[in-house]
Amino acid sequence: MMEFDSTHLWMHFWAIATAATVSAGCALVGSFLVVRRLSLLGDAISHAVLPGIVLAVLAGGRPGGAGVFLGAVVAALVTVWLTNLLGTHAGLAEDAGAGVAFTTLFAIGVVLVSALASRVDIDPGCVLYGILELVPFDTVPILGLEVPRALLAAATVLVVLVVAAALCWKELVFTAFDPAAARAAGLPVGLVSAGLLVATSLATVASFEAVGAILVVAMLAVPAAAAELLVRRFHRMLLVAVALGVAGSIVGYLAAWHFNTNAAGMIAVVLGIEYLLAALWAPGDGIVARVVSRESLRWRVACEDRLASLWRAEEGDAAALAPRTLLDRLAQARLVFGGRIVPGRAGGLTDIGREEARVIVRSHRLWEAWLGRHVALPLDHLHPPAEWIEHHLGAEVRGRIAADLEGDEGDPHGRDIPPEEFPRRPAEPPAR
Amino acid sequence: MILTVAEMSFPTGWIPPYNTLVVAAGVASVGFAAGVVGCFAVLRRRALAGDAAAHATLLGVGLAFLLGGGRRDLPLLLGGALSTAIAALLALVLIGRWTRTRDDAATAIVLGVSFGAGITLLSGISARGIPGSAGLEQFLLGHTAGLTAADAMILGALSLLTVALVALFLKESTLVAFDPLFAAASGWPVTLIDYALVVLVAVMVVVGLPAAGAVLVTALVVIPPVTARQWTDSVGVMLPLAGLFGLVAALSGVAVSSAVPRMPTGPLVVIAASILLTISLLIAPRRGGLARWLRSRRTVAAWAEGRLLEVALRLEAQGPFTREQLLAKAPGVAADSAFKRLVRSAAIEPVVTRAGTDAWRLAVWGRELAAERSRRLAAWTEVLEVAREDARGHLTIDVPSPEAILGAARMKAIRESAAAARSASGPG
Repeated sequence: MMEFDSTHLWMHFWAIATAATVSAGCALVGSFLVVRRLSLLGDAISHAVLPGIVLAVLAGGRPGGAGVFLGAVVAALVTVWLTNLLGTHAGLAEDAGAGVAFTTLFAIGVVLVSALASRVDIDPGCVLYGILELVPFDTVPILGLEVPRALLAAATVLVVLVVAAALCWKELVFTAFDPAAARAAGLPVGLVSAGLLVATSLATVASFEAVGAILVVAMLAVPAAAAELLVRRFHRMLLVAVALGVAGSIVGYLAAWHFNTNAAGMIAVVLGIEYLLAALWAPGDGIVARVVSRESLRWRVACEDRLASLWRAEEGDAAALAPRTLLDRLAQARLVFGGRIVPGRAGGLTDIGREEARVIVRSHRLWEAWLGRHVALPLDHLHPPAEWIEHHLGAEVRGRIAADLEGDEGDPHGRDIPPEEFPRRPAEPPAR
Repeated sequence: MILTVAEMSFPTGWIPPYNTLVVAAGVASVGFAAGVVGCFAVLRRRALAGDAAAHATLLGVGLAFLLGGGRRDLPLLLGGALSTAIAALLALVLIGRWTRTRDDAATAIVLGVSFGAGITLLSGISARGIPGSAGLEQFLLGHTAGLTAADAMILGALSLLTVALVALFLKESTLVAFDPLFAAASGWPVTLIDYALVVLVAVMVVVGLPAAGAVLVTALVVIPPVTARQWTDSVGVMLPLAGLFGLVAALSGVAVSSAVPRMPTGPLVVIAASILLTISLLIAPRRGGLARWLRSRRTVAAWAEGRLLEVALRLEAQGPFTREQLLAKAPGVAADSAFKRLVRSAAIEPVVTRAGTDAWRLAVWGRELAAERSRRLAAWTEVLEVAREDARGHLTIDVPSPEAILGAARMKAIRESAAAARSASGPG
């Protein structure tokens, strides 16, 4: 399909430009769909515009022309109307209703395309996965430059979408994030939603020739969902989504060129990889960040539990528990290495270790004492919450609890609460 | 000379050959099983998860084709399809568990990306001209013409196995579908059953691939259950009925496509299923459009008659009344035809009697009816004022909407004045 040939570089440039333009428009609309939980509306519309397009072409419209856009918008509105009709009259859940409506319309479209193949210049395969590779061959002259018609249509739609989004920015955002409040504030919520619907069908039709009906779904949803993972503010999400969409189109096209395969499919795959990377590496709550923060907490808890256990052993309450699990052993090694525990089998606390352990046990017993005083819990229920919170109490909270306990020195089990500060030279731990 | 059925050469042309019959039987059982399994997908709102799995099958078909060294062995290809379908479902679960992405976007991502990967792979295979790859595109939109009898038997056997599984675990599946919380509280492994049902849907999507294609096979799983739902309120009836609708849709789609050259099967199956659904939406008893329309007409008529009686009772205090007087006092939808019915009723059990050319009087029976109606209205008014909870508990879902009787404009005015009264009385 695509062989490297420098004389055709212009062709590739036009194809990439078309893909990027289409993708930018889809990412823009898709961001609104994703935050409004309407991603599947994009799915439904992208399937359902097919019969509209076919009928418009049959009626004499040119692919990418105004008539085709009109046909597609009408088909999209019909889908949504059918879904609502199935919802109100047949009591269908929205997903089933949409599933019925768009598969039926798409089936009608495919049958029309297959039956009228001689009269409609649409290939059933292209309906599904587009013909980005052929886009540069159908051009119109603009300012002496042969510009692909598909690019022209996509660019026009992109400009329309950007202008519309800028003009109705406040309404769009308000409706997206708090439709009830927007309605109460007197915004025409229904009209805004209908506008979004029309915008989705415009973006879909503009993409149709380049990437086909189904891969539009990826262009609509994937960059927006990835951007949502990466940033928190909506206007940034829009920009990031558009950037991801454009980058995915360029990389996807080049990869398809390299591997000699379908460009639209490869763009979807690259967008998927972008999403995967975003899900893994998003700052704050990406999978990697969450695993790291969870594991580091587990690690800290293991170390602190180890220290506290040794401290209690020195206090003479119980023998120190031998490290049992792998995590415990690693924590022990880390503490020995960090100079908290004396190396060797006996392995008591060093001075620094004792300082740190004391604070942990202090937190634990302060909490037990506080719970014992203020919450009517039986004695044997005090330990578990304290065991959890000892890792999270700061000096200030400890101070306040101590003040609240008014110098009460013991915990409810009758053991001393170790002081916050020892004199410089710590006393010997209580003898056995 | 003894012939087996397969070797028999039929003298007349109208009996289809053995292979066609077996394929038809296989497709029929696929349609039946898809309908049955789809019931739970629809009830549990997993319709679109099934769609994502369906779009992912293409990738599996391509991978299996490559792994199998270019053989077009249907069980192998379907095995590949099943593994990627399940991988897609797994991806859905993982995205839901590990990221902030919501369900709808997750479905769209899995659907779009896996389909893109499938297209990339298939297109790469065909660009390299690997022998035997030409037919792989038939998995996009379905094409049963190439099925052999052996393939069809495998499909049929798998479908019957799926149906048997559903039948075996009918109680558990039904419980989980309708009341997952109760099921969990009673100690059923709800998550396990849920996953098992979703996997069954994936199996059906894969088995349905040759008949309906990756893009449209969801419809085979979704539309027949929705159709069956129109006819019944009982799962026990819905399952076989959905199976039946699926069977008819699959068979008629395949039949039409074999008659028209170059026509993929999938869209035709879907259109057949939609036609069945449309008919059901119109004529199904109780839930169908026709039944609803008749019911609402009857209700409106009964209310109009009652209202006429009430006004007539009041007018009669001043002697006989004319038709104009009556209709002027009791305007509204269907008042005119209600009056005609009152007059006609004179032949059987007179409600009104004629007291002149255009002068009417309530008959004994009419007076009783009117009195009873006022009594009931007064009683309901009291109930609504004093014991609203009782009213709520005893009014059924069939209570006609006030808009249907009073008209939308009047109802809007009533609502506004009620809101004004509420805000005047202040909060609390």
